Amino acid sequence: MKKLFALSLSVLTLWAVSLFFVAPDDAQADEIKIGAIIAETGGAAFLGIPEARTLRMLTDEVNARGGVAGNTIKLIIKDSGGDPAKAVSFAKQLIEEEKVFAIIGPSTSGETMAIKDICDKNKTLLVSCASTKAIVDPVAKHVFKTPQNDSLAVEMIYLEMQKKGISKIAVAVGGTGFGKMGGKFLNEMAPQFGITVLENEVYDPKSTDLSSLVTKFMANKEVEAVVNWSIVPAQAILAKNMRQAGWDVPLFLSHGFGNIKYVELGGAALEGVFFPAGRLLVADSLPESHPQKAVLVKYTTDYQAMFNNEPVSTFGGHAYDAFKILCKGIETVGKADTAMVIDAIENMTFVGTGGIFTLTPTDHSGLKLEAFEMLTVKDGKFALAN
Amino acid sequence: MRQYFPLCIFLALVVLIQLVTQITETAFYLTQLTMSAYYSLLIIGLCTIMGYAGQISLGHAGFFAIGGYLSAGLTTHNLQPFADTGITSLLDKAGLLVSSKDLYGDTLLTVHPWIACIVAISTAVIIALVLGGPVLKLKGHYLAMATLGFGIIIFRIAMATPYFGEADGLSGVPSFTLLPGITVSGDFGARIINYYIAWGTVLIGMLLLINLVNSRMGRALSALHGSEEAAQAMGVNTARAKLLTFVLSAAYAALAGVLLTHYNGSIGPGEAGVMKSVRYVAIVAIGGMAHLWGALIIGTLLNFMSMRGLFGSYDDAVFGIILILIMLFAPQGLLRLHIWKHIQKIKPKKHGTA
Repeated sequence: MKKLFALSLSVLTLWAVSLFFVAPDDAQADEIKIGAIIAETGGAAFLGIPEARTLRMLTDEVNARGGVAGNTIKLIIKDSGGDPAKAVSFAKQLIEEEKVFAIIGPSTSGETMAIKDICDKNKTLLVSCASTKAIVDPVAKHVFKTPQNDSLAVEMIYLEMQKKGISKIAVAVGGTGFGKMGGKFLNEMAPQFGITVLENEVYDPKSTDLSSLVTKFMANKEVEAVVNWSIVPAQAILAKNMRQAGWDVPLFLSHGFGNIKYVELGGAALEGVFFPAGRLLVADSLPESHPQKAVLVKYTTDYQAMFNNEPVSTFGGHAYDAFKILCKGIETVGKADTAMVIDAIENMTFVGTGGIFTLTPTDHSGLKLEAFEMLTVKDGKFALAN
Repeated sequence: MRQYFPLCIFLALVVLIQLVTQITETAFYLTQLTMSAYYSLLIIGLCTIMGYAGQISLGHAGFFAIGGYLSAGLTTHNLQPFADTGITSLLDKAGLLVSSKDLYGDTLLTVHPWIACIVAISTAVIIALVLGGPVLKLKGHYLAMATLGFGIIIFRIAMATPYFGEADGLSGVPSFTLLPGITVSGDFGARIINYYIAWGTVLIGMLLLINLVNSRMGRALSALHGSEEAAQAMGVNTARAKLLTFVLSAAYAALAGVLLTHYNGSIGPGEAGVMKSVRYVAIVAIGGMAHLWGALIIGTLLNFMSMRGLFGSYDDAVFGIILILIMLFAPQGLLRLHIWKHIQKIKPKKHGTA
């Protein structure tokens, strides 16, 4: 017992002593530290990996060109694995020890909400890559976000339905946070557009066959269209099962469908579906005159050149927008002064991958309905629907 | 009296670390040390049921989440819109509700953190009692599976209930004033007091558990660990002993959940996840199963490193690898390796050949 205790004591003392040898070094005068809390591993890695890659790519690019307003950027990425407790720990570390100028991320809404108040109280800029409306409503002076609100995507779908004269629909959502939030908005907003939701179903995100769900929807003869709101691969299966059953009502998907791998998974069944998304996925088919064209093409080319032709995703785009908004803010002011940069961001119009941001003191998200385009699948590729 | 000697050293060490961080101006380490203290509170509870009573539980993250989520839910959901309904006004009149203003100037009417804390811990205790009755009759893999199932159920409930924020979890959890002047909160200004609240709680927890394992009850548990039949034959009420320990460890987990949630100001469904439970079990194993101090030290160390992000993207992998290595090379736990003995064994041999 005594030896044991002596051993444990020495371990603890060693550790306590070792703590003080790794104290963070002081920032150089011409260096701006930007922290990033990204879920590079865990369930949200499909968001975090393209985000982290984009941030690293942009930092190198900016530093190679001499930095922002004469300052080099030092990027510190912390992998939270999607865990809010870690996000809290990392946010405190970045703010207090690293004394970062701003934090980009976290990737998920839960993590962002966990650190929203911490950043605001400690006057550190936070530009989130997560979509929940609560991040910017109520507005916190130091907190911004780049993804579009989910409710805008719902609005986009319902406007398209109005155009097509569809008024009775069935809703299927994937059983994830993204799916449930979509289901909530779809049901809440339907009456405003004169649309009735006749059927509501939630499916297991790991499903491999959804024909029973399709049969149930088909049994209701009044259904004129189906909305399938999900971010998981299983959403492609629903389309397959519908076409196999010979049911050819219009199928609408969410912006969570914006991944070309899902198209490969669904094959021919996905031809002609509708889904709202940012313009990043159809950068090539935009007219030269479109204001976003140059930004989108450059990001796509750079990213694919750097990462083995890996297709770009809108998630990486959110990180791109966050990074560029910060850089633009610092450039406008000429130095990394938090209050002045916030002032600059709040009066900024920025052309990004997600759309054209018009940020104001009351709107810290800055995207409107115009950020979305109705897309479809044509010959196995994303294309503009209209 | 001898068994309290380590407690004094422990207390001295806690104070020493704080003083050193103060002098070297590295007080920010206390943030992660406080977080690890709460995880350690759960771990010493789990150590009692696993190491001393020999009952494996893969569901302790579930109890942690019950504590954290209930406390968070009750103290964040605004009852203002229901202020005029019967139950709410009754609670208000009884002084169980508090009115406050959030950062954005809205008035909030929520349950008092103390009441929320008591509700959270009692719920965990009741669930542990109900669950423990039938489940603790199982042995070995079956017990592990049943508790694993329980953990998954809690995780699923957290993910599917709008009240608990579904996939996003709950945020904006207010600070928790234990006594006037002593508040559990994550503000940078309240760091030192929170460090002492956390480690004080762990100290009291340790004291209770040390007394427990050195009592008649503790001896009964050890007997039970060795052979349940033999213990029964000696007149130990094994069912009661197991259930009591299980409930106690569930209460520790729930208390840890409550306090950490108030400290962080938020909780997410990941806290109830299976990986968390596995991590706790791994830490107890590394500490040496029936070894409270080992579990405490290893728990603090590994959680501290994990919370500081030292393992980067390999966080879960590190815990897995450590568990495998420990099972292969030190099944009795890291602190029972008796390194000195091994070294001493080697020494005389060298002399002999020379």
